[in-house]
Amino acid sequence: MTRFSRFLLGGMCGVALCAPGLVAQDPDPFAKLDPNSRFAVEAIIDSAQVAGLPWRNLRSRALEAIAKKVDSRRIVAAVRTRFTTLKEARAALGSVGDGELGAAAAVIEVGVKPEQLTALRNPPRGRSPLAALTVLGDLITREVPRDEAISAITKLWQEGRTDADFMGLFHGVESDILQGLNPGAALQNRIREFPGRAGIKPAPPAGEPETLSP
Amino acid sequence: MTEAKFAIVVLTTALLTPSGITAQIASRLEAGAVVTGRDGELPSSALQVAPGIRFDRPHIALSARGSAWLSEQQWQVADGIVSGTFTAPTVYGVRAELLSNASRAFSDQSLGNDQVDVQTRINVLFKHRGGIWVGGGVARPWRVAVVSSVDVTGGGAWTRVGDAMMSGTFTNFSFTKIAPGRDTAGASLSCATTTGPAPVDRSDAGAVFATQPAASLTCSRQSRFSDLEGAIHWEHGRLELNAQSGYRFGSAYDVDSGSRRWSAAAATLWLNDRVAFVTGGGRQPANAARGIPARSYGQVGMMLAAWPMPKATVAVAPARAVLVRSFDVRAAADGMQKITVRIGGVETVDVMGDFSDWSPLTLVRRGRDLWELSIPLSPGQHQINIRVDEGNWTAPPGVPTMRDGFNGEVGLIVVAGDR
Repeated sequence: MTRFSRFLLGGMCGVALCAPGLVAQDPDPFAKLDPNSRFAVEAIIDSAQVAGLPWRNLRSRALEAIAKKVDSRRIVAAVRTRFTTLKEARAALGSVGDGELGAAAAVIEVGVKPEQLTALRNPPRGRSPLAALTVLGDLITREVPRDEAISAITKLWQEGRTDADFMGLFHGVESDILQGLNPGAALQNRIREFPGRAGIKPAPPAGEPETLSP
Repeated sequence: MTEAKFAIVVLTTALLTPSGITAQIASRLEAGAVVTGRDGELPSSALQVAPGIRFDRPHIALSARGSAWLSEQQWQVADGIVSGTFTAPTVYGVRAELLSNASRAFSDQSLGNDQVDVQTRINVLFKHRGGIWVGGGVARPWRVAVVSSVDVTGGGAWTRVGDAMMSGTFTNFSFTKIAPGRDTAGASLSCATTTGPAPVDRSDAGAVFATQPAASLTCSRQSRFSDLEGAIHWEHGRLELNAQSGYRFGSAYDVDSGSRRWSAAAATLWLNDRVAFVTGGGRQPANAARGIPARSYGQVGMMLAAWPMPKATVAVAPARAVLVRSFDVRAAADGMQKITVRIGGVETVDVMGDFSDWSPLTLVRRGRDLWELSIPLSPGQHQINIRVDEGNWTAPPGVPTMRDGFNGEVGLIVVAGDR
């Protein structure tokens, strides 16, 4: 083996062996944040703990942003926003689990007003609005008109629909949109498939009396 | 023979281990008929059984495979290899790999030897299109007429065109060996070092070796040759085709006429996700460093399950614009959830989410286009992203999605629980 090839081999071995260690995940999950951002994120998480909010949701939000290589300033902003929306979600939903609060906070962040979630407040024992909130967030993400989506979901919830019904609605709307149907029309199309429903109309402004569609 | 039976039993047991025990292990079993022939000899046929097992982690892959032939009512180990690959994360499209292998090769019952080798590679990946790599390493064969380690240097390039992946490699081999004082054409050679009978290592008294030292003059001689090889992998629907062809550069002393050119092809027809019909044939060049002669071969058989294309063959493609055909999460045993993804033509599939603290988890290939991973998921809503071949993180298809607030989307999984 020539000196050059030994040098080459040694150098490449060094790179191969050292590189994983250099970029290996640090046991401290927030090590990639700059000190100021880290302080801010940890302070918000501490505040959530004190307030009895699901602080793990905030931690996960920060870790998600770090994994997606978001800059520190946006990470702090995202965690702060989630802290605020978690408080709003708790005010809107009352006594629900951490998962439901996190899901509600996420849909508030995509444009749902907290007061529009009050229909899901204090669900009866044995019933969770998790699937309803999940599908609501998806419909809005797929650009179904927001008020129509909220109206459809809250009415299905009030009718006592099951998780399977909500997931069925999601699959139907997704399928129709993939086939080229307008998102709003897709929701109208699928909502008619539920027994006793002919369609939906946008939810009335918060505070006004609400009537079920025929 | 005890060794052969032991190897078969161990690998077959590993193969039959229920996949639920650990999601990071993949296995396969090939069985069929193989016909081989060397120049100047009649072809011989045998029943071949080749089990294999692979363990994958994000930056480490360990694998073992072997094959045994049933010929004349006797099982014989044909070859066996244990491999390890350490892969550094890709940084700005550049990634380092360290590959190591320990192998035993038999050409027939009277011709076997061992080798340990280690290689490093630097891959440069061009998004969506292809990549190049350079690398080098060293191999140390035992029980052969090679008196030095084998220096291996080379490089290659690959690209994807439609459903086909094409690659080209150039590999240079350099080593010192003991050989007769005449070349393959019979011409007398001048020896750098003239010796008596070749000093072959016979430390393992139980083994029979390739080398038959010439009673006459032998040389200790530097041997060099280079292989230029092109390969193509094409898959469409249930059919996969692989073909490769090569040319060996070197003097007549180092390269026998039967190893100058070679080509081989194989076709795999998947009957379902785990069972395939395999046929192929061609010519393999000699492995001069290990004393394995060139041979022609043909084979036909069945393959059960599969694992990813070896990383040693082609560098990993980043961010290929392929779509996951289906994504599913179902309850498995003991509170685990099994993630199942269907996508073909890729090398890795990763997921990450709140359940992993947003660290990537690599799925295990269970079939031609089937990838699986079992993870503990608590009841409730979970966010998940998926990527293929270390590309961009996206929301998996078939599940509700939401904007993640970072210019992307996440998938939402709702795991039902006791209420």
